Amino acid sequence: MSSWSWLNKFRQWFNGYRVRKFKNRLFFVLCLLCVVIAIVPLLSILFEVIARGTPEVNLHFLIANGLQGGIGPAIQGTLILIGLTSLIGIPLGVLSGVYLAEFGNNKYASWMRTTNDILTEFPSIVVGITAYSIIVVNITGKPSPLAGAIALSFMLVPIVARTTEESMKLVPNSVREASMALGARRWRSIISVVLPSAKGGLITGTLLAVARVAGETAPILLTILGNSYFFQGFNQPIDALPLRIFLDSRMPQPELQAQAWGAALILILIVLSLNIAVRLISRGRLKR
Amino acid sequence: MSNLKMRSINLNAWFGPKQALKDINLNVKTNAVTAIIGPSGCGKSTLIRTLNRMHELVIGAKMSGEVLLDGKNIYDADVDPVMIRRRVGMVFQKPNPFPTMSIYDNVAAGLRLTGIKKGKNLDNVVKRSLKQATLWDEVKDDLKKSGTSISGGQQQRLCIARAIALQPEVILMDEPCSALDPIATAKIEELIVSLKRDYTVVIVTHNMQQAARVSDFTAFMYLGQLMEYGETESVFENPKNELTENYITGKFG
Amino acid sequence: MTRLLDVGLEQLTVMVYKSGEVAENAIRVSIRGFINGKDATETVHELSDILGSMTVDIENKAFELIAKYQPVASDLRIINSYMKIAYDFERYGRYAWDISFTQQKLAKIDKCAVSSDLMQKLIEKVSEMVGKSVEALKQHNAELAKTLADTEKEVDELYFAYLNKLSNARGQNKCVMCNLLVSRYLERIADHTTYVGEAVVYIATGEKISLR
Repeated sequence: MSSWSWLNKFRQWFNGYRVRKFKNRLFFVLCLLCVVIAIVPLLSILFEVIARGTPEVNLHFLIANGLQGGIGPAIQGTLILIGLTSLIGIPLGVLSGVYLAEFGNNKYASWMRTTNDILTEFPSIVVGITAYSIIVVNITGKPSPLAGAIALSFMLVPIVARTTEESMKLVPNSVREASMALGARRWRSIISVVLPSAKGGLITGTLLAVARVAGETAPILLTILGNSYFFQGFNQPIDALPLRIFLDSRMPQPELQAQAWGAALILILIVLSLNIAVRLISRGRLKR
Repeated sequence: MSNLKMRSINLNAWFGPKQALKDINLNVKTNAVTAIIGPSGCGKSTLIRTLNRMHELVIGAKMSGEVLLDGKNIYDADVDPVMIRRRVGMVFQKPNPFPTMSIYDNVAAGLRLTGIKKGKNLDNVVKRSLKQATLWDEVKDDLKKSGTSISGGQQQRLCIARAIALQPEVILMDEPCSALDPIATAKIEELIVSLKRDYTVVIVTHNMQQAARVSDFTAFMYLGQLMEYGETESVFENPKNELTENYITGKFG
Repeated sequence: MTRLLDVGLEQLTVMVYKSGEVAENAIRVSIRGFINGKDATETVHELSDILGSMTVDIENKAFELIAKYQPVASDLRIINSYMKIAYDFERYGRYAWDISFTQQKLAKIDKCAVSSDLMQKLIEKVSEMVGKSVEALKQHNAELAKTLADTEKEVDELYFAYLNKLSNARGQNKCVMCNLLVSRYLERIADHTTYVGEAVVYIATGEKISLR
C-alpha cells in the first residue's frame, strides 16, 4: 500500500513543472551536443587543409607546371574536365529527367528510374575501372581528358537526371493543363512553360551535381593518368586536382606532400565556390 | 438545329474501370451561357473536359459517343485534338497564370505557344483581350508585372483574357469562382454575361444561385447522368424532375 | 434534414393560415349581421385591423426569407403565393367591413337581405367559396381550388340576374341601394377567392392558370 503511494508521489514529481522544464532543457542540450559533434569533423578537415595548404599557395604554385613545383596543369585539368563533363553529362541528364517527369508513367520508365537511382549510389571506383576498360582500352587507346570526362559523366548523368525529374515534378500540374488547354502541342508546353518554371530547381540541382563530381577521384584515376605539363591534346593524358593530391601524397618527398595539401586547398575552394554560387542563386530566386 | 454550337450524343466516359458519364445528350446553344450543376462527384468536370478533349489527357481515360462542334464530331479520327482546344478554350477552378511570365506574356502565351506570331499586332490582341476581360484598366500601367503578383480575382480574369486572346468559339469554365471572394466573383459573373455576345459559354458551378444569375440554360447532373435540362428560369422556378427540385432547394447535396 | 429555410417557411405558413381564418371569420360575422339586421361594424372593424397588421407581418417575413435564403423552385413559389394570398385575405376583410359599413349607413337595422332569394343564394355561394379557398390553401389542394372556377361562374350569373332584378325593383330605396352595393362586394369577394385558388394551384403544380 505504501509503495503504491510512493510510486504515485514519484510520478507526480516526475511530471511536475520544474522537472518538465529540466527535461526540456536536457533534450535541447543533447541535440545541440550532437550537432557540435557532427560539425567537428568538417571543421577539423577545413582547419587542417587551410593550415597546411595556405603556406604552399602563391602565384608560382598556381601557375607553374609540375616540373617547376606548381599545380597549374592540375587546376587547368580540373577546369577542363568540369567543362567537358558538363558538356556531355548535363544535356543527357536533363533530357532523361524531362522524359522521366513528363512521359514516365509506364513500367519501362519506372525500371529506368530504379536503375538511375542505383547508379547514383554506385561505388566510384567501379565506375572508374569500367570506364577504363570500355573507353581507354577499347576506344581511345590511352588515357585522355575525353576518357576522364566520359567517366565523370557516368557519375553526373544519373544525379542530374534525378534532380531534373524532381524539379519538373515540382511544377504544379495546373500549369501544364493551362498550356494544353490553350491548344499547345506537348513538346511546346514542356519547353516553353514547364521547363522555365522548373528553371530554378534545375540550375541549383545541376550545379550541385557538378560540384560533387568535380571532386571525384576514382573515375579519373585510370582514365587520365596525370601529367606534369599543361593540356596537350584531347587524346593525351591530363592532370587534375584530385589525382594530383592522391599521387603527391603517396610520395616520400615532403615537398611533394606539402604540394598535395596546397592542391587540396585549391580543390576545396573550387567546390566551396560552386556551392556558394548555388546558395546565392536560390536566395535571389526566393527574394523574387 | 443550327443554333446549337455544340452537342453531345450518347456520350460515355470512364476513368479506367469506373464510369463517370452515362449516355449524356447535352445541347449547347450558340451565344448563350449553359450552366452545369449537380452534387460533388456527379461528373460535371468530366463532362466539360470531354468537350475540349482534355479528358483523354488523363492516364486510363476512355470515352465513347460523339461530341459535335458545329455539326462535326471532334472525336473523328482525322481531327487534331490540338486544333479543337484552340477553338474551345478553358478556364480552370484555381487561377493558373504561367508563373514565370509577365501579364503581357501570359495573355500573349496562347498565341506564341500555338505558333501564331502577329508581331506588332500582338500589342493590340493583348489590349483587346484584357479589355474584354475587364482587366485592362487595372493593369495597363504595368504589363510587365509578374502574372502571379496580382490578386486572385485579377489572376482569374487574366486567365480568361489568356483564353480569349485566341478568339475561341466556345469558352468552358470549370467552377471559375470557387477560389475567389464575393466581390471578385461578382465581377467575373458580370464578365461572363458580357462574354456571351461574342462567345458560347459553358460553366460548371456548384453555386446554384450563380447558375441562376448568369446562365440562360441549366443542366442538372447526378451520378454521371443528365437528369434535367432546360431554360434556367423554368428549371429554377418549376423543375420537372424531383431530384432536381430536391437538389436546388438544398434538401440534399 | 431540416433546412434553416424550413423553420422560417413553417412560421410563414402558420401566419398565412391564421390570417385566412380571421378573414373567413370577418366575412361570416359581417354576413350574419347583414342577414339578421344587426350592427356588426365594431367586431368586423377589429378583425379587419388585425388582418391588416397580419398582412404586413406576412410580407415582412416573406422578404426576410427571400433575402436570407435565396429560395428557388417550390420554396420560391410558396413564398410568392403566400404574399399574394395574404393580400387577398386582407381584401376579404376589407369587403367584409364594407358590407357591414354599408348596411349600417344605408339600411340601418332593416333586414334587407331577406327581400330576395337571389341575394340569399349569392350569400350562400360566396360563403362557400370563401370556405373552400381557405381549405384548399391549408391542404395545398389544386383540385379543390379548381372547383372555384365553376362556382365563380354561378356567382357571376346570380350577380347579374340580381342586378337586373334590382333595376326593376319598386321597393324601399334604402334596401335597394344597400343590396346593390352589398351584392357588388360579394361578387368582389368571389373574385378574390379565385385569385387565392389560382395561387394554390401555382404552389401545388407550378402552373399559372386563370380561374375566371
